[in-house]
Amino acid sequence: MLLSLALRNIWRNKRRTLLTVSAMVVSSALLILALGIFSGMLNDMLAAATEQYRGHLVISMPGYQQDREIFNSFVPDFVLQEELDKDPDVLGVSPRLRGFGLLSHGQNTYPAELLGIRPRRERQVTNLGKHLTAGRYPTEEAADAALLGRGLAQKLGVEPGDELVFVTQAADGSIGNDLLTVTGIFATGDTTHDNSLVLVPLAWLQKVMVLEGKVHEIALRIHRPSEASVLADRLTALLPGQLRIVTWGSLMPELQEAILSFDASRLIVAVILYLATGLGILNTVYMSVMERTREFGVLMAIGMRTWQIRLLVLSETLVMGLLSLIAGCSLGALMTLYMQQVGIDLSRHLTPITYAGSTILPRLHAVNEVGNYLLPAVMLLIIALLAGWLPARRAAKLQPADALREE
Amino acid sequence: MTIPHKILPWLIFMIVAPLCVLAQTSSDLDLRALIREVEDQYTGKSSHALMTMQVRTEHWQRSLKMEAWSRGRDRFLVRILEPAKERGVATLKNDREVWNYLPKVDRTIKIPPSMMGGAWMGSHITNNDLVKQSHIDQDYDFSLLEQTPDFWRIEGLPKPEAAVVWGKIVYQIGRADRVPQRIAYFDEDMAMVREIIFDKVQTVEARRLPMRMTVQPLDKPEEQTLLEYEQIAFDVSLPENFFSLRNLKRR
Repeated sequence: MLLSLALRNIWRNKRRTLLTVSAMVVSSALLILALGIFSGMLNDMLAAATEQYRGHLVISMPGYQQDREIFNSFVPDFVLQEELDKDPDVLGVSPRLRGFGLLSHGQNTYPAELLGIRPRRERQVTNLGKHLTAGRYPTEEAADAALLGRGLAQKLGVEPGDELVFVTQAADGSIGNDLLTVTGIFATGDTTHDNSLVLVPLAWLQKVMVLEGKVHEIALRIHRPSEASVLADRLTALLPGQLRIVTWGSLMPELQEAILSFDASRLIVAVILYLATGLGILNTVYMSVMERTREFGVLMAIGMRTWQIRLLVLSETLVMGLLSLIAGCSLGALMTLYMQQVGIDLSRHLTPITYAGSTILPRLHAVNEVGNYLLPAVMLLIIALLAGWLPARRAAKLQPADALREE
Repeated sequence: MTIPHKILPWLIFMIVAPLCVLAQTSSDLDLRALIREVEDQYTGKSSHALMTMQVRTEHWQRSLKMEAWSRGRDRFLVRILEPAKERGVATLKNDREVWNYLPKVDRTIKIPPSMMGGAWMGSHITNNDLVKQSHIDQDYDFSLLEQTPDFWRIEGLPKPEAAVVWGKIVYQIGRADRVPQRIAYFDEDMAMVREIIFDKVQTVEARRLPMRMTVQPLDKPEEQTLLEYEQIAFDVSLPENFFSLRNLKRR
């Protein structure tokens, strides 16, 4: 009975109801879109750091990730690699050797970071293959293929097919040097990597560095990056000798902090936005309650209890809240979907920003996440109830005799 | 604290007098010319030398045999003779540029400015040492710190506008033969980071010359580079285009 009464009350002043509802719909939909874009930015940052370079988990000797000392290498255990390959939570396993040295073409020489990889395995961990601007990803068979960043390629003045000379000090102190052939050029937007990173065949680099059979790290890509530390704890048991496993979060604590603080920042944004909406709803409901003072007097006179009056007003706002929630979430989902599929490219106006050990790409791009809907929806209901509470209390406090006499 | 007036002039005298004496002796001695002499001791007008370099680091040690030529202070070419794996690897210094030749791939590469602080041939000598060593007498101002019957100690501080590597250099030079005994290198924070010790002084073509130098990085006491001249001849005649990229590539 109360509910049908509430529904009838809502539809009595259609214009006012529509205005209130649309305020709620627009604010929740925009909130959902904003959170989606925010999530998208964090996703981009995590991807830039892990899926373009580090991997989610990295196995190496203690201290290697801090000093990148050439001698801190190890012989990758065949059994370990098989265990990792079999693990259902692990998507990719890539053994790598790292070498720093000079890369030269013609008169141009620049310092570079060479990452010795096996293309088939590396592709399962990092996705530089998706960021090619010229040429192609090296094949497993190519013995001297180099995939380098666009910034470095431009400084050296090379294109696919060109030759590179690499010189370094090998592990035995000798002057390691050999030729490479450029097969591809990538551009990730991360200037550090675009300006210095070169992917080369693992066997080639092992020979130049005089580190035959050795690697510096094994990088892993995993199913759920957010639960990297749980998996790391489990995989630690598999590691022989001194080997250690570290998560992307411990490699880039600032990035992890930025992502962990998302829940808090999401809440803050929602509170600010809804505070304004909530005041609007409060105003409307108050108005409608004041207008109906006589009506409430009549209802009370014919025997309606104060709690029923209170419930009546509250269910009016609740119904409006639910309606807005459905419409708002749908509209928000549509807009998020658009931003996910199409997005907005800002690269003509902005350059990538390096932040927290990663890169913020110059684009607006959203991702869909359950949390980004749950929070706006739940908060919308709470706000609607809060905004209904004060007017409901007022209505319930009316004295039937006074209310009836009200003009 | 107040100093009694009668003592003050004496104090001043006692402080100033030794300074005057020092100033007196240092004006007799042309410090800049002396440093130039020391820095150019292995080059002269031109030179040709055979030397061995032993490098010891925490992880490896190796020995190289090299042949080197120089003209004046700005031209320098050195070629590795041994070990066989690196035979033919060569370095050419032409004014402030350093080029390396790599026979394995038959390419020359120019060392970029950002890498001039890097090790030369894996030793504790940097590319900057090759290039900037010959400008030290122009880039620094010198003053006499101490003189004993045996040696002078001379301090070099960079001129304000000079682009230099070291914050301070202290030379200890023997008075009898004007030969360096040790040189200490300090960084910008005036902490001593490297020392070069000279010994095995011999007479070569009427010059006194330390035939061995030991480069000792102070942060890694277990590491060092030993450079020893087996033979050295001065005023050799070299063709005009000897210090060219083309000659660098000659195997």
